Amino acid sequence: MVSINYSSREVCCKIVYYGPGLSGKTTNLLYVHSKVPSDTRGKMISLATEADRTLYFDFLPINIGTINGFAAKFQLYTVPGQVYYNATRKLVLRGVDGVVFVADSQPDKMDENIESLINLEENLREYGYDINDLPMVIQYNKRDLPGVLPVESLNAKLNTRGWPHFEASATLGNGVFDTLKLIIKLVLDKAKSSAAGRSRPSVAVAASPSEEPDPPDTEAPPEEAVTAPADPVAAQPAPSTANASADTAPARAPAATATEETAEAESGPPPEPARYRPYPGSEQSAAVDNKPSVAGFEPSTAEESEDAAPQTAGKEDVAVMDQAEHLTQPIMSPSLKRRGQSADGKKRGFFKRLFGIK
Amino acid sequence: MADDSLIFYEEEINQIDALISKMLKGAEAKCALLVDKDGHLITRQGFTHSLDTTALAALLAGSFASTKEIARLVGEPEFSVLFHQGKKDNIHMSLVGDRSILVVIFDDRTTIGMVRLYAKETSIELTKIFEKIKEQSADETKSGITHDFASQAEDKLDDIFQD
Repeated sequence: MVSINYSSREVCCKIVYYGPGLSGKTTNLLYVHSKVPSDTRGKMISLATEADRTLYFDFLPINIGTINGFAAKFQLYTVPGQVYYNATRKLVLRGVDGVVFVADSQPDKMDENIESLINLEENLREYGYDINDLPMVIQYNKRDLPGVLPVESLNAKLNTRGWPHFEASATLGNGVFDTLKLIIKLVLDKAKSSAAGRSRPSVAVAASPSEEPDPPDTEAPPEEAVTAPADPVAAQPAPSTANASADTAPARAPAATATEETAEAESGPPPEPARYRPYPGSEQSAAVDNKPSVAGFEPSTAEESEDAAPQTAGKEDVAVMDQAEHLTQPIMSPSLKRRGQSADGKKRGFFKRLFGIK
Repeated sequence: MADDSLIFYEEEINQIDALISKMLKGAEAKCALLVDKDGHLITRQGFTHSLDTTALAALLAGSFASTKEIARLVGEPEFSVLFHQGKKDNIHMSLVGDRSILVVIFDDRTTIGMVRLYAKETSIELTKIFEKIKEQSADETKSGITHDFASQAEDKLDDIFQD
């Protein structure tokens, strides 16, 4: 689909060259690449096999300049023509705005042309496009070769829908620009009419929600783990605010219990506030960790709780030590205990005892 | 889907840019691109000047698309995170909503874990923005493509494409 970006002021359209193997799709792009001024085109990328057969796609971006303040950009793609590359061929068609069907004019290639055209229709249908609605141009290529079929017979077999057609010879460059110019024009005309037709939003609205709720459930299960717990957090703000107060402390200590967190908050400024300042949404993951659900499990937070473990363990050790000291003091030194009780407490007694101060 | 063109206004792009640059700072990554699944670049942040972002966007989208097919073959609907490890630079790709990909390029100054964490949180925020954009574009008629646009384009084409 046409992408319009008001921020970078760009209009971007995708044009795909389709057709049977060795019909000259890549040659079309190569010719455009060689003839168009270098400031108009980007780098051509070809994902090809060692024998120069297209494996995935060829890609050539062209920028025809600024129109009405918008940079008009076109991305030209080709598909691999061989029958057995249908999986990748279909992928390239995603979001297509216009198709150039490059047919081979040689008599023995007619079956391949027909097969490819049927394949195009099928693949488009899988993406929800109708071949009759899509801007399309047929290019009868290899007209320079001897013994090619006359245009009338090609039209009769391939162009039953009356698409505009051109005779071309991609190696010599005849007809290449005519084809490209027309498909660009058709794509822009289509975009213009669909922009005008968007005043009927009911169709678009009806179409979009049906697509939208699906992906979290069906397409992206790991995301679901994240998006699903976002609701409980919004519903019960109490834990997140509790975290927020303690979250000046490391955002990495989500597994700590409430009492530990408050103790930590009272204990003074956090150790590394700048580096581990909570990022928006990190309160969510903290809240998620309190829930012992499978959906809430994430490897990253598991790491975090491991990180947090030494801290809490250390704190517990201190508490245990204090207790132990308290218990052992009377046995070890009754006199110090008496002084500790009367004055600041046992710690002073402990240090005095340690350094031998009377 | 065919009529469902993608329209971004400045306000939303600014919001998206702010989120992405915050993520870059937090994760200490080099740069990030937001790419449409069709291969269009939506926005970019960080040190992208030395990169051919148009080609990168098309290739990354292609790579994501082919991985989706691989996922289907092994019985997964889609792999939502992809990671490419290199000698110096690495690429982390994660799905945002149902039609965009957040691409983070980073080197050894940070770790995959940090990038993953921040990318995950950012994609949640971005998904919300995209949902808003989708709602808006459904009832707005404003468009950059007018009658003028198509006819002016034709004139330009004649200038550029001369044999």
